[in-house]
Amino acid sequence: MSERIFGIFLLLVSAAGIYIGWDLKAPISYEPVGPRAFPLLVFTLLGICSLGLMLSKRPATEWAPSPVLMRVGGMFLVVLAYALLFDKLGFVISTALMSVPLARLFGGNWKQSLIAGAGLGVVLFLLFDKLLDVVLPTGFWLKPLLG
Amino acid sequence: MEIISHLLDGFAVAGSPTNLMICLIGAFLGTVIGMLPGLGPINGVAILLPIAYAMKLPPESALILLAAVYSGCEFGGRISAILINVPGDAGAVMTTLDGYPMARKGLAGPALSISAVASFSGAIIATLGIVALAPILANWALAFGPAEYFALMVLALSCLGGLVGDSLLKAMVGVLIGLMISCVGIDANSGVYRYTFDLLHLSDGIPFIVVVIGLFAVSELMLMLQSHHGGAQAVEVTGRTMFNMKEFMLARWTILRSSVVGFFVGVLPGAGASIASAMTYSMERRMAGKDHCFGDGDVRGVAAPEAANNASAYGSLIPMLTLGVPGSGTTAVMIGALTLYNITPGPTLFQDQPVIVWGLIASLAISSVLLVLMNIPLVKVFVKFLQIPNWVLVPGVAAVSMVGVYAVHGTTFDLIVGTLLGGFGYLLRVMNFPMAPFILGFVLGDMMEQNLRRALSISNGEVSILFSSPISIGLWVAAIAMLVGPRLAKAFEARRNRLAQA
Amino acid sequence: MIKKTLFALAATVAVSAAQAAPEKTECIAPAKPGGGFDLTCKLAQGGLQNGKFIDSPMRITYMPGGIGAVAYNTVIAQRPDEGGTIVAFSGGSLLNLAIGKFGRYTVNDVKWVGSAGADYGAIIVRADSPYKSLKDLMTALKADPTKVVFGAGGSVGSQDWMKSALVAKAAGVDYKGMRYVAFEGGGEAMTALQGGHVQVYSGDASEVAAQIKGGRVRVLGILSDVRLPGELHDIPTAKEQGYDVEWPIIRGYYVGPKVSDADYKWWVGTFDKMLASPDYAKLRDAQGLFPFNMTGAKLDAYVKQRVKDYADLAREFGMAAQ
Repeated sequence: MSERIFGIFLLLVSAAGIYIGWDLKAPISYEPVGPRAFPLLVFTLLGICSLGLMLSKRPATEWAPSPVLMRVGGMFLVVLAYALLFDKLGFVISTALMSVPLARLFGGNWKQSLIAGAGLGVVLFLLFDKLLDVVLPTGFWLKPLLG
Repeated sequence: MEIISHLLDGFAVAGSPTNLMICLIGAFLGTVIGMLPGLGPINGVAILLPIAYAMKLPPESALILLAAVYSGCEFGGRISAILINVPGDAGAVMTTLDGYPMARKGLAGPALSISAVASFSGAIIATLGIVALAPILANWALAFGPAEYFALMVLALSCLGGLVGDSLLKAMVGVLIGLMISCVGIDANSGVYRYTFDLLHLSDGIPFIVVVIGLFAVSELMLMLQSHHGGAQAVEVTGRTMFNMKEFMLARWTILRSSVVGFFVGVLPGAGASIASAMTYSMERRMAGKDHCFGDGDVRGVAAPEAANNASAYGSLIPMLTLGVPGSGTTAVMIGALTLYNITPGPTLFQDQPVIVWGLIASLAISSVLLVLMNIPLVKVFVKFLQIPNWVLVPGVAAVSMVGVYAVHGTTFDLIVGTLLGGFGYLLRVMNFPMAPFILGFVLGDMMEQNLRRALSISNGEVSILFSSPISIGLWVAAIAMLVGPRLAKAFEARRNRLAQA
Repeated sequence: MIKKTLFALAATVAVSAAQAAPEKTECIAPAKPGGGFDLTCKLAQGGLQNGKFIDSPMRITYMPGGIGAVAYNTVIAQRPDEGGTIVAFSGGSLLNLAIGKFGRYTVNDVKWVGSAGADYGAIIVRADSPYKSLKDLMTALKADPTKVVFGAGGSVGSQDWMKSALVAKAAGVDYKGMRYVAFEGGGEAMTALQGGHVQVYSGDASEVAAQIKGGRVRVLGILSDVRLPGELHDIPTAKEQGYDVEWPIIRGYYVGPKVSDADYKWWVGTFDKMLASPDYAKLRDAQGLFPFNMTGAKLDAYVKQRVKDYADLAREFGMAAQ
C-alpha cells in the first residue's frame, strides 16, 4: 500500500516537474540540446517508474508499530525545530534544547538528558568555535552581551 | 623509474612529522567514526572538511587527513559489524553476516584480527594498484573530452544496474530521484535557473553535503530510534585475540582475490565499497563449493568483504585523481576539498600538483600500516567507544552533522533542506529503496547531462561524436557488458541447473 | 546639569566612534569556502591585520548563492546597519546585479567601500595552436565562425561568455553565430583546451601564469587597457593589436545601506591607507590579483558606471534585463 501511495506521489511530482520544465528556455543558445531536455527526460522516466511502483506486487513494506512511528516522527520534528532555531538561538542553546528530548527518546532519564543537553551544547561549541575555528552562531541573545 | 622518484618525494611529504601526526589522528578518528552507527566515511569526511580548511591546513595535509579518515572508517565499520551486528558503515554490511555469528561463538578476537589483516591487504594491494595505474590513466586523461566523460558516466550507471539485481525498479527510482535533485539550480551551459522557484538559496543547486548529511546522518538516526530497544549489547571480546594458522590458511587466497576484485570495482566511478563487498562475498561463497559455513561464522565471509571494501575505497581515488570524477560518495566530498583550495582535480593534477598527489598516495600506505598496528592490539580501546550510551551519541551526532552543514554554507535554509531530506530518506529506506543509486544519480547526473550537451555543442549536433574515439568506444562496450553480463551469467547458470536436474 | 553632562558624554562617545575601528569585524564571502570571494576576504583580513588597523582578527563567514545574490539580499534586508561587516563582491556579482539576477535590489541599495584589486580577461590557445596572434584568430573567425570553438568556465550570459562574445564581435561575427561551450569553472575549461576539445579559452590573466611556464598554452592577448606588470608583461593587450576589447574584473567590498556615516568613513579611510601599503601589494600579488586601488565616492561612481555598461552589453547581447 505504501508503495502505491509513494508511486502516486512520485507521479504527481513528475507531472509538476514536466509542467515547470516545459517553459525552460535559454535566451541565447549554442546547443543542439537545450536546458529542458534532460529534466523532461528524467521526469518522464520517473513518471513511468512510479506507474511501475503502483502496479508492482512486491511484499508490502513493514512499518514499525505506530507508537514507534510516533516517536520517530517526534524526533524528526525536534531535529527540524533544531534546524530552524540553530541560527536564531545560537548553537549552545539550540543544541541543548534539541539534545534533551532526543536523549529522552533514546532511553536517558531526565537527569542524564539534562546533562547531555547542557554538556553537548557547551563542549561542542568550545570544541568547534574556539578550538577548531569553525564559526558557529552565537544567537541574537548573546550578541548584545558580547557587544 | 620516474614513478619511484615521485613516490619517494611523496613519502617525504607524507612522512613529515606534522603529516604523520595528522595521519595518525585521522586514522584514529576514522576508526571511531566508522564504528559508530550513524556516522560513516561520507559524513565523517564532510564534517572534517570545513574544519581542516578553517584550521588553515595546507592542501596536502588536509587531503592526507581526509584520506586517513576514509580508510580508518573502512577499518572501523567492521568492529561494530562483528560485535553488535550493526554495520558501522555501508561497506561493512556484508561483514555482519559471518562476523556476528563468529563473535557469538566466542571467536570475536579472531574475527576482528583476520578482518584487520584483510583490510590491510586490501589497502596495500590497492595502493600498489594506484601507483601502477594512476599515472598511466593520468596520461590518457587529457584525451578525455566531454564525449568520453559522458560514456564514462553511462558506464558508472550501468555498473549499478548490473549489480543491483532484484529490486531494479527501486534502484531506478533511486537514480531518478537523485538525477531530479541534481537538476535544481543554475544550468551550467545556458545559465537558465531550473526548478529554483525564485529562491535565491537554490540558485546554486542543493549542495552535496546537505544531501549526504540529510540522507545518511539524519535518516540513520531515525532508523536507530526505530530499532532501538534499550541499547545494543556488544559481544565481549574474550579468549584469543589473534587468528590461528588454520584460519589464516583458509582465508589467504580469499583475501588476495577479494583485494584485487575490490580494487577494480572501486576504480569504476560510482561503484563503491558496498557493491565491492557484496560482490566478493557472493563470489567467495560460490567458490567455496560445499565445504563452508558461510552465514554461520566462516572466516572467509569476514575476510572477503573487508579486503574488498578497503581496496575499493582506495581504488575510487583513481578516477578522482585522474579524471576529477568521484569514484564514490566519499571521494565526491574530497573533490570538494580540493576545490576549496582552488585545485581542480583531473588530468592536469599530476603535472601541476605532484606534491599533493604523491603525498596522498604515500600517506595511504602509511595510514594502512598505522591502522593495522592500531587495530589489532588496541581493539579493546575502540570497543570502549561502543559503550557510549545512545542518549549522548545520538544528539551528539545530530549536532555535529548540523555543524558540518553550517560550516560550509552558514544558512538556516540548508539546515532545513538537509532535515527534510533526512525525513524523506527515512521513508525511502523503510520502503527498502537502496541509497547508493540515489547518491550516484545525484553526483553523476549533472556531469552526465552537461558533458553530453558539451559534446553535442562541440560537434554541432552530430551524435557520432559520442562514439568517435577508441576510449569512448571501449567505455560503451564495457557499459553494455556490465548491463548484459550478469544477466547472461544468471541465465546460463539457471540453464545449467535445469540440465543438471534433468 | 545632569542632562548637559549626559549630552556631553554622548557627544564624546560619538566622536570617538568616528575614529575608532568597529569592535568586531567580519567579512562575508558570498560563496562556499575556497574560490575567489574567499580569497578577497582573506586579502582584507591579512591587509587589515598586518597594517594593525584592527585589534582582533577579522572573521570570515560564508554565505553562498547566486554569485553573491544571497548575501546581497541578506545584508540589505536583515543586516543593513552592521558597521563591522563588509561583504566581498566581484565583477561577476556586478554583472548579475545588472541583469536583474539579484532580485529586487539595485546597485544603489548598498554602500560601496573599496576595491581589493583586479583581474583581466585573457584569450588563450594551446601551445601548438595555428593561431599565433589575436589577428590570426580573428581572421579564422571571420572566415568561418563554426570552425572555432570557444570554451570557458561560465554559462551563457556570464562574464566568461561575454569575453568570447566581445572577441567574436570584434572580428565582425555575430555573437549568435559563434560556437561556445560552457564548462564548470576555469580549471575544467583549461583542461579541455589542453586536451584539444575546444580551440580557444576566454579565461583570466591570473590563471595562466603557471600554464605558460609549463609551455602548455599561449596567450594571444590580454583584455586590459595597458600591459600587466610582472611575468605577463611580454604579452600584448588586445588594444595594442587593434581590437578594442577590454575586460577588467574588479574585486572589492561593500557594506549595508544603513551603516552609519562614521563607520563608512572609517572603512574608506582605512582602505585608502591599506591599499597604498607595500605590505598589502605583496599579499595581493601572491593571490594573482593586479593593482586596482579605488575607494569611497570614486568606487561608488565606478561601480555604478560598470553596472550600467553591463546592462547595456546584456541588452545588446539579447539578455534582456528583467
